[in-house]
Amino acid sequence: MKSISKYWSIFQITLINSLAYPGELVGRSLMIIPFMWIFYQLWKVTFSAAGAADGMINGLTLRDTLWYLMLAETIELGRPPIARTMSENVKDGSIAYILNKPYDFLLYQFSTAMGETIFRAMLNAVFGGLTVWWLVGTPNHPEGFLIALPAIFGAWILHFSINAMIGLSAFVVEDVSAFTWIYQKLAFIFGGMLIPLDFYPQWLQNIAKLLPFSSAIYGPARLFVTPTLELFISVMSLQITWIIALTFALAIVYRRGLAQLTVNGG
Amino acid sequence: MKEFKFLFAIWKTNLQSAMEYRAAFLTQAIGMMVNNFIYFAIWIIFFDRFKDVRGWGVNDMYVTFGVLASAFGLVSLLFGNAFNLSDIIAKGRLDYYLSLPRPVLLHTIASRTIASGMGDFLYGFVSYGLSGYFTWDGLARYVLATLLAATVFAAFLILTQSLAFWFGMMTNFSNLVLNAMLTFGIYPITLFDSYAKLILFTLIPAALMGAIPAEFIRAFTWQTLGELLLGAIGFLTLAIFTFRMGLRRYESGSAIQIEV
Repeated sequence: MKSISKYWSIFQITLINSLAYPGELVGRSLMIIPFMWIFYQLWKVTFSAAGAADGMINGLTLRDTLWYLMLAETIELGRPPIARTMSENVKDGSIAYILNKPYDFLLYQFSTAMGETIFRAMLNAVFGGLTVWWLVGTPNHPEGFLIALPAIFGAWILHFSINAMIGLSAFVVEDVSAFTWIYQKLAFIFGGMLIPLDFYPQWLQNIAKLLPFSSAIYGPARLFVTPTLELFISVMSLQITWIIALTFALAIVYRRGLAQLTVNGG
Repeated sequence: MKEFKFLFAIWKTNLQSAMEYRAAFLTQAIGMMVNNFIYFAIWIIFFDRFKDVRGWGVNDMYVTFGVLASAFGLVSLLFGNAFNLSDIIAKGRLDYYLSLPRPVLLHTIASRTIASGMGDFLYGFVSYGLSGYFTWDGLARYVLATLLAATVFAAFLILTQSLAFWFGMMTNFSNLVLNAMLTFGIYPITLFDSYAKLILFTLIPAALMGAIPAEFIRAFTWQTLGELLLGAIGFLTLAIFTFRMGLRRYESGSAIQIEV
């Protein structure tokens, strides 16, 4: 219990810290507005050209697609750059001061990451949501947001696990920017961040829906626009499987990485 | 001529400095090329499913994405500090450049090379090669269009980041307009109505970095060349003027700055 309260305190401190510069927080979140506007332009033309009688493409309307993309962007833009932070810690030597403190390194990183994520994601959801509301109206299932909440939280755990593994590779290669770019783009494609996976060719959908990227982006966003019990069970069970597998892999990578770490200065 | 010699000397030093960490340089350059390939796959999937957007197909996207990547990469390689000029201004780091007998703006922005820019620059040529529009005279137009698009992009960065002379730290604003420029530059211009197009030629000149250079590469017309030249000269003049106006207001504290 005492150890949980330790990480809860770290989470709270980071959460309060993230509010220290409200201008910075708001400014960063405004980025979602041009993204949603351009998505609207693209999908409005695409839906109109597709000319489906029921206004749907593979089960999604223009409104569903825009709200789906809003949540996908919120998840992506809300998460802090863990891998880069860890890499910086290794490069400037400050990792030495984090590792010798009486807390678990990974749980410390997770608590700070969640603390940074909450308000960032909330503001992205507010600005993104208002933009999409103005462009296409309210979501068809507003209650979907509450149903998707556990999946959104699970998505952040998945993002953390993968990013922490990339960050830990800094123990060996120091600069991890190339890996973070590639991970981000894989998440764009296999997570369905710019195009919902439902619009992909069937063979690619089948592959993408099994990968962790879809559990981190597509699953929660699709659950938001079509909140059915069947989808909830399917999204959550796949997500939990990936969370268990990736946190296990993360623990192994951390132990191995620690043995190879060389700190230059600090 | 003297300034060109000076520029080449800086670029040579930057390159030698980057090559000191050869593995990191190559990782970033190759990593960025792979990153661009993966990102572009999204457009291949999109156009495979929906064929075209108001007459704009995947081949047009190859050229647009290519010229935008090359222009972005060129500015990253040669004028890397243009991306954090507002930080340099707000933190008083212009002192170093002001104390030396070379043009302040040129010296400041050319003093940094972003290694990943090499990946972007080269990727653009590959993308053009894959577009199906490749011809030898088209390649010459590609090079010219990249130079002009890079001029517009560098000028846009200088212009927006120079606002730090008046408003102080503006990292968020700089990131916002940079992202808007790149995002709008990549998307098909046929998506936008005439009001949006006006914005894309003026406030956020993304059309002059993506769609118009791409149009010029596909087929030569005096009109597109004129638009590109006018945009490059106009934005560069405005950027230099704004920087000089701002420089009159510049003040710094007594912090000791070290430029490495």
